[in-house]
Amino acid sequence: MDKDKDLLQQVKEIVSQCDRCGTCLPVCPLFGVKDIEASSARGKNNLARAMVEGGFAPDAKMLEKMNFCLLCRTCIDNCPSKVKTDEATIALRQYIADRTGGPGVKYRALGGMLKKTGLVKLSAGALGVTKKLGLGGLVPFGMAPSTLGREQYLARFAGPAALAGPSPASPAAVGADTKVAYFHGCGMRMMFPDAVAETLTILGTVTAVRQVDNVCCGLPHLAHGMRDDFLALAKENIRLFADADVIVSDCASCAGTLKHIGAYLADDPEWRDAAKAFSAKIMSLSEYLVKAGYRPRQRAGAKLTFHEPCHLGRGQGIKKEPRQLLKEAGDYVEMPGADTCCGGAGSFHIDYPEAAAAVLDKKQANIEKSGADIVVSECPVCLVQLNKAAEKSGGRFKVMHISQVL
Amino acid sequence: MITEAIKSKLRAVVGDENVLDTNLDRFGYSYDSSFIPLLPANNPDIVVRPLTTDEVSKVMVIANAHAIPVTARGAASGRTGGSIPVRGGMSLALDRMTRIIEFDERNMMVTVEPGVRTIDLYNHCAAKGLFYPPDPASWKFSTMGGNVAENAGGMRAVKYGVTNNYVMGLEVVLADGRVINTGGKAIKNVTGYNLTQLFTGSEGTLGIITKMTLRLISMPKARNTLQLMFPSLDDACATIHAMLQAGIVPAAAELMDKMSLQAVARHRKLDIDQAIEACVVIEIDGEDTAALDKQAEAIEKIARSLRVAEVRIAADAKEAEDIWAIRRGLSSAVGAMAPTRLGEDISVPRDAFPEVVRRIKKISETHGIPIAVYGHAGDGNLHPSVLCDLAKPGEEERVHKAVDEIFAVALEVGGTLSGEHGIGMTKRKYIASALGEDGVEVLKAIKLALDPKGILNPDKVW
Ligand SMILES: Cc1cc2nc3c(=O)[nH]c(=O)nc-3n(C[C@H](O)[C@H](O)[C@H](O)COP(=O)(O)OP(=O)(O)OC[C@H]3O[C@@H](n4cnc5c(N)ncnc54)[C@H](O)[C@@H]3O)c2cc1C
Ligand code: SF4
Ligand code: SF4
Repeated sequence: MDKDKDLLQQVKEIVSQCDRCGTCLPVCPLFGVKDIEASSARGKNNLARAMVEGGFAPDAKMLEKMNFCLLCRTCIDNCPSKVKTDEATIALRQYIADRTGGPGVKYRALGGMLKKTGLVKLSAGALGVTKKLGLGGLVPFGMAPSTLGREQYLARFAGPAALAGPSPASPAAVGADTKVAYFHGCGMRMMFPDAVAETLTILGTVTAVRQVDNVCCGLPHLAHGMRDDFLALAKENIRLFADADVIVSDCASCAGTLKHIGAYLADDPEWRDAAKAFSAKIMSLSEYLVKAGYRPRQRAGAKLTFHEPCHLGRGQGIKKEPRQLLKEAGDYVEMPGADTCCGGAGSFHIDYPEAAAAVLDKKQANIEKSGADIVVSECPVCLVQLNKAAEKSGGRFKVMHISQVL
Repeated sequence: MITEAIKSKLRAVVGDENVLDTNLDRFGYSYDSSFIPLLPANNPDIVVRPLTTDEVSKVMVIANAHAIPVTARGAASGRTGGSIPVRGGMSLALDRMTRIIEFDERNMMVTVEPGVRTIDLYNHCAAKGLFYPPDPASWKFSTMGGNVAENAGGMRAVKYGVTNNYVMGLEVVLADGRVINTGGKAIKNVTGYNLTQLFTGSEGTLGIITKMTLRLISMPKARNTLQLMFPSLDDACATIHAMLQAGIVPAAAELMDKMSLQAVARHRKLDIDQAIEACVVIEIDGEDTAALDKQAEAIEKIARSLRVAEVRIAADAKEAEDIWAIRRGLSSAVGAMAPTRLGEDISVPRDAFPEVVRRIKKISETHGIPIAVYGHAGDGNLHPSVLCDLAKPGEEERVHKAVDEIFAVALEVGGTLSGEHGIGMTKRKYIASALGEDGVEVLKAIKLALDPKGILNPDKVW
């Protein structure tokens, strides 16, 4: 009960800051494809406020409204009062989940699955479950995430500018004794093992990277009303990475979430300090590579563009780094709206396929406009969405994880 | 009550997906950006989102036949509750009507639908070298329909005027569904009453605006920004007077008092000297940089003679942007100072500006309620922000007294209740004191003539 009160209080504090000005309407990607008030941050914040003040019941219908959010933070970036719509939405999802008997069976199954370690060898049985629950879109085996592997990429685009073989000794600024560990995210693990291998190779050129058998970052749990699970996972990860100085993740969503653990455990006297220290160690792949002075292994003749994951740009403020690296790795072009959400957003595209597809269509048009051969990103959920776009565009562009082109 | 039969008629006109009637969806159309509480919710019974004039007309025929209240809505960024459907009925959301119908370069006019956002109109014209000057601070999200219906102003009003100075003609759907056209592209036009100006600023109570023809001017070639800091508010105001009298008309002249300034300083983590009592931000424009330099020099000279403490002339666009960011961040920064902010919008003759600010400070002291003041000093429109916590016992009463007194002061010095935000719901009770009983009767007579059943935005303005 106390926990419920806390959540409500948290929501109230956030949403009562909303001035209802409307700045967030034209910038919200969901409002862009479904232009009714409830799609926008103003709409959700005020529904939440009315609910907290007793105007609406915390029921399934309200939850549906709160689920209609990409948590992309575009609204917050533009909001003059910096109202944290994403946090309010997440807290309200939790509150409603607690009241209505937990998250839907779908999210519970997903959460349970991601909580287990060792997903590398995800059993055929588990796969069957995801299919039945309509979660196939989240774990799209056979969906050709590696339609273009690094080998083919090099074979195709290795123009005169491409340097064969490994890069010269990296002038990495990170000290020899910095203990760098890799955070192996579930999405990367399940869908993009090739990219994971490349990440490890790259990291290996800069440092002696440690691999840890970590657990899920907990974002799916946090986002869908399983906060207890999220906190349990967070503590486990803190424990597992206790002796690393830097923790690198090639998934923007994981890195973004892990960087927030300090704040989520700030009221826990036992874990506060460890959590804060843990979050301070997290780096996104491109963030780390730039800090370490990494230079791409080759410069290919490919025209590259970057889709900026919400959790990387707005979430962590990492905008320059991936672009800087890509400029060295190929012929870089910035596409219009590079930082606009692709509509993937965790499992949003499973719950609201039409809205997600409409958001993605805009992204696809922008990629095509850029004329790029390859759209690069740094988040597995984005990569899944972008692969769908690539397929729809009839192969006009390919999709790769940033580690595969560096 | 809107029966199922009526609902299906409305659906047939605008299409199923453009009618919203679930509880949660209707709630989204129950508020605007005023301080009117969310609860009890002023939900419309139905939300209807037409795309064409013809659809609006058909919707109005249905509404009029069944005496359903109809409240027009643009972006609901209004500050006075104008788009709130207080009597339920229908929220007529015009934000899907976003076409720029005609760009008439030779006559320097543009014709648009009401859902076009102010910024999109501005950019469309600017790309062709023409200038649509009215710039409400809400220009990135407010709609042109809302701007015309509220006769919105903006920072450039001092030099370029407000929305009504640019409205040449309108297409209006009347309460019974008939469609009329007012005004037009002829610059001289005295054929009949000036209905264009009657509908401009009518807050959705007389008709639904479905098209507007707006006058444009040529784009100023160069712009720059100055920031002046004064140890005395009177000197700040006097500087603006002296400037205007000397024939230097700035494109904008914004004034902030100490409380506003310190609020921004806190919000943006700046350090502003406590001795500064007023800040004036000025935009100048002209033919070329030489013309700007001349203006800036003259302004600086006047300000120096009036004991300015600091003069900052933006060296480049980036610095100009930094200065304007302070002004633009003001509303939120001030709002963040207290749980509730009642933002008012009085407008007074320009020379009464310092006097009014002084008297507002007195009111603030008397009632023990902080009031930050900022506004468009160049045109006498100021925004006192009453900062309060309505949860405190007795606070509501004190606040109402303070607000009443602010309005009384505005009227006393020959000013008015609202410079740009309109009357809507929040200032209704003061309108008779501003216009007189007879004045209000005339408004009612006009309303009755155009909307005999009283369905258009009922319970607003008076
Ligand atoms: C942060 C902020 C800053 C602001 N700054 C300014 C400013 O500097 N200057 C200023 O003047 N205002 C300002 N405003 C107030 C507001 O933005 C303006 O009044 C604006 O014109 C409202 O436009 P809207 O599209 O949001 O209209 P809404 O709020 O939706 O509606 C306003 C009124 O117009 C009516 N209406 C809307 N469309 C039509 C139509 N097509 N036909 C008939 N009636 C219609 C509605 O019924 C209502 O009465 C500000 C508001 C905010 C939140
Ligand atoms: S921009 Fe911020 S304050 Fe304005 S309506 Fe959106 S959430 Fe509220
Ligand atoms: S987080 Fe993104 S999707 Fe959610 S309301 Fe904000 S802008 Fe819209």
